[in-house]
Amino acid sequence: MNAQLRDITQANDSPLAVHGLVHGYEGTRVLDGVDLALAPGSVLGLIGRNGAGKSTLIRAMLGLLEPQAGQAQVFGEPALGLSDATKGRLAYVPQQPEALAWLSATQMLDYVGRFYPNWDSGFVKGTLARWDIPASKLLAKLSPGERQRVDLIRALASRPDLLVLDEPAAALDPVARRELLREVALRAGEAGTTVLFSTHIVSDLERVASEVAFLHQGRLLIHCGVDETKERYARLWLPARLAAAAPSGTLSRRHHGDGSLCLVVERDAGGLWPEAAQLGGARLDALGLEDLFVEIAE
Amino acid sequence: MDASLFVIQPASAEPIYRQIVEQLRRLIASGQLAVGELLPSVRDVAGFHAVNPMTVSRAYSLAENEGLLERLRGKGMAVAAGQRTAHSQAARLALLEPQLLALARHAQELELPADPVLRRLGKLLGER
Repeated sequence: MNAQLRDITQANDSPLAVHGLVHGYEGTRVLDGVDLALAPGSVLGLIGRNGAGKSTLIRAMLGLLEPQAGQAQVFGEPALGLSDATKGRLAYVPQQPEALAWLSATQMLDYVGRFYPNWDSGFVKGTLARWDIPASKLLAKLSPGERQRVDLIRALASRPDLLVLDEPAAALDPVARRELLREVALRAGEAGTTVLFSTHIVSDLERVASEVAFLHQGRLLIHCGVDETKERYARLWLPARLAAAAPSGTLSRRHHGDGSLCLVVERDAGGLWPEAAQLGGARLDALGLEDLFVEIAE
Repeated sequence: MDASLFVIQPASAEPIYRQIVEQLRRLIASGQLAVGELLPSVRDVAGFHAVNPMTVSRAYSLAENEGLLERLRGKGMAVAAGQRTAHSQAARLALLEPQLLALARHAQELELPADPVLRRLGKLLGER
C-alpha cells in the first residue's frame, strides 16, 4: 500500500481527522497547518493558552466553520457536509451554548431526546438534580455555567460515539467536574466513545486523557500519549560552566541571569537522554504536563 | 480491598499507571495485600478515581507480567501466589532505590561527604 493511500484509509477509520488546516481572522493566522487524527476510543485532551485557537480548531474539525485551507473528516465524511446519520453519532458542547434558549432545560432535553435512538432519560433526570440546575426556568435566564451544564447533560444523554467538549471544566464545580470526568473515562473505556476536550485545567486532562495535544501559535507542538509524554520529556538544568555543552534542537531553551540554562530535552530512539545530562553538575528533572506546557509555551 | 486502596496524583510527573504499579509493589512487599487477595476491578478503580480505565488495565497487566498479580478466571486480578516469600531483603531494598538516589543527590549538592550522612542515617534507623 502506498503512503498516500494508507493516509486516506486511516482517516476513514478515524472518528475525527484533519489535515493541513489553516484558518485566520482579519489577517491573523489562528491555525497554521494543523494535522490531527483521533483513534477510535481515544480521549484526546487539547491544551493551549487563551486565544491559542482551540475553539477554532474544534469548530473546523466538526465542519462548523469553513477553513481557509485543509480538510476535516468526521467518521470518514467531509465535515462540511455531514449526513444526518453521522450527525446523530456525535455530540458537541460549545463553550457558550445558545440553541433553544426559549425552552426550559426539561423541555429542551425532552425535545432533543426524541431525535436520538439511545437517549438516556434516567441519566438526564439524575444529573439535572445532582448538577443543581433549575430545570423549569427558561434556558435564556440561566447563567452561562448553568447553560453549559444543561448542554453537557444533553451531549452525554445522547450516548454519542464521538463526544467533543470545548472547555467543559469552566462551568462545573469540583464535585460535578469529577463526575463529568468519571463519565467520560468510563464511556471511553467501556463503550469505546471517542472524546476530544479542550481545557486549561491540566490535571483533569491527566486523569482521563489517553493522549494530549499542545496547540501553540497555530500549530500542534506535541501530540503524544499522556504517559509517553511524561516519560519522554524532562527539564535539563545546566550551570553556567556547562552551558556550552547544551544539546541543540531542544523544544525550549531558557537562559538565566547567572548564565545557567534550562532546556526541555527528549529521550532519543534508544530511550537515552542527551549526553549533557550525564555531566557532573547537570540536573535532570521529571516534568508534569503542566510544567512541560509552561516551559514550551512561554 | 476497594478502589480507595490507591492514591493517585494526576499532576505528578510519574504516569498514573506507574503510580499504581509502584503502590502494588509496596503493598504486596509489606504484606498489606496478602497472597490471593482480590484487587478492585478496573472499572471500580477507574470510576472511583475518575481516571481512564485503559490506564488501570495497563498497570494491572504490567503487574501481572512482573508476577505481582495473577488473573483469576471470572474473578479478576489477585495477588500472585508466592509473593510474600519472593520478597527477599534485596527485593525490598530495591524498592527504596528512588529515595536513596534522591538522598545521594541532595548530599552531593550540599557537598557532604558520605560519612556524616551515613552516621546520621544509621542513627535514624537505629532509633526505631
